[in-house]
Amino acid sequence: MEYLIVSTLPPQHEGVVELVGQLADTLPQAEVVYTQQMKISACLGCNSCWLKTPGRCPIHDDYEPLMLKFLQAKAVVFVCDTKLGFISYQTKNLFDRILPLATMYLTVVDGQMRHIPRYRKTLAAAVLYTGQSDNAYLNHWLARAMLNLHGVSLGAYPFEEKGAAFDALAHC
Amino acid sequence: MHLLIVSCTPRAVAASNTDKILTAFCAGFEAQGNTTERHYLARRDTWPQIRAAFEQNDDILFALPLFVECVPGIMLEFLETLTPKTEQKAKISFLVQGGFVEGCQLRCCEAYLETLPAYLGGTYNGTLLKGGMFGVGFVTPKQREAALAPFVQAGVQFAQNGCFEKQKATEFAKPEYLSKGRALVLRFSKPLQKLFFEKIAKEQMHSAEPLDATPFLQYVK
Repeated sequence: MEYLIVSTLPPQHEGVVELVGQLADTLPQAEVVYTQQMKISACLGCNSCWLKTPGRCPIHDDYEPLMLKFLQAKAVVFVCDTKLGFISYQTKNLFDRILPLATMYLTVVDGQMRHIPRYRKTLAAAVLYTGQSDNAYLNHWLARAMLNLHGVSLGAYPFEEKGAAFDALAHC
Repeated sequence: MHLLIVSCTPRAVAASNTDKILTAFCAGFEAQGNTTERHYLARRDTWPQIRAAFEQNDDILFALPLFVECVPGIMLEFLETLTPKTEQKAKISFLVQGGFVEGCQLRCCEAYLETLPAYLGGTYNGTLLKGGMFGVGFVTPKQREAALAPFVQAGVQFAQNGCFEKQKATEFAKPEYLSKGRALVLRFSKPLQKLFFEKIAKEQMHSAEPLDATPFLQYVK
């Protein structure tokens, strides 16, 4: 698996059906994971993954196997709905739970504090979304999120521009 | 003014830095003759009451910790269950706290919050940002009091102005970036920093594992 597609939208969603169909032609090395039937709780903000059980989230649900796939993939695409002008809460939970990949230790980069990553792994991520949202903001947010994870943003794209997302993936 | 406060942290109240900050903020705000009611999203069984309170109140403050550059997932989950107000007269304010010291780390979240009230049928009433709050739960009571004192004053100012004024909020959020001197100190104090975090892990989290443990190293490609 080179590319991981994590969809918080159901497999029968019209846009997802089309996307998966195109993926088979353009990125055959991609694995698609649907989270709708998974149990993935919100991050509790307990700091256990930094201070008590370093690198492990104390919530034992379906997230850990997914996080392990993040470590294996060359790039991850989050396929999601947008609500209230932002990614859905289910998708935000996937990002919030990613903190075990960082350590508590801090460093300074360009005058800003950053957590030191736990693994030598550059996470590359894109967001492919449905619904009305401010694309510039989503790109800004993803860039910031990846910056603090020492990762790379491949951009946020509305479904209509999924071709551009595929290009970004193919060239990462 | 009666202010509805919704604490949007997923943490239990006793361990919540956001709640400690709110307590200080409310002390200043209420000292000016105002009243507050505080609700917690961490108590999911109270969400129906929080929704009812949102419908009934027009002065609303959402307080939250920064989670991956924006609002916590639990806050989005709750907000998605709200019925937007229809009269556009509710004033919605925000208080955001984060672990990193610099104000710039909170700006991405602030930009989102500026747009959020429109989705909820209210008007944006400003955001108070403050970084460097990670240690509030770990430090001595005296250090905690010193760290929280500015929030008492922020509560007084909110009572006087009825909003978080951008200029004052910008001042409150400083430093916007780390000065070169401070960045240098942080860079060279890494061994001390390591000792501090290890002390917290050992004494307060009862953990003896190395904080840079790599339990899933074999999966990394």
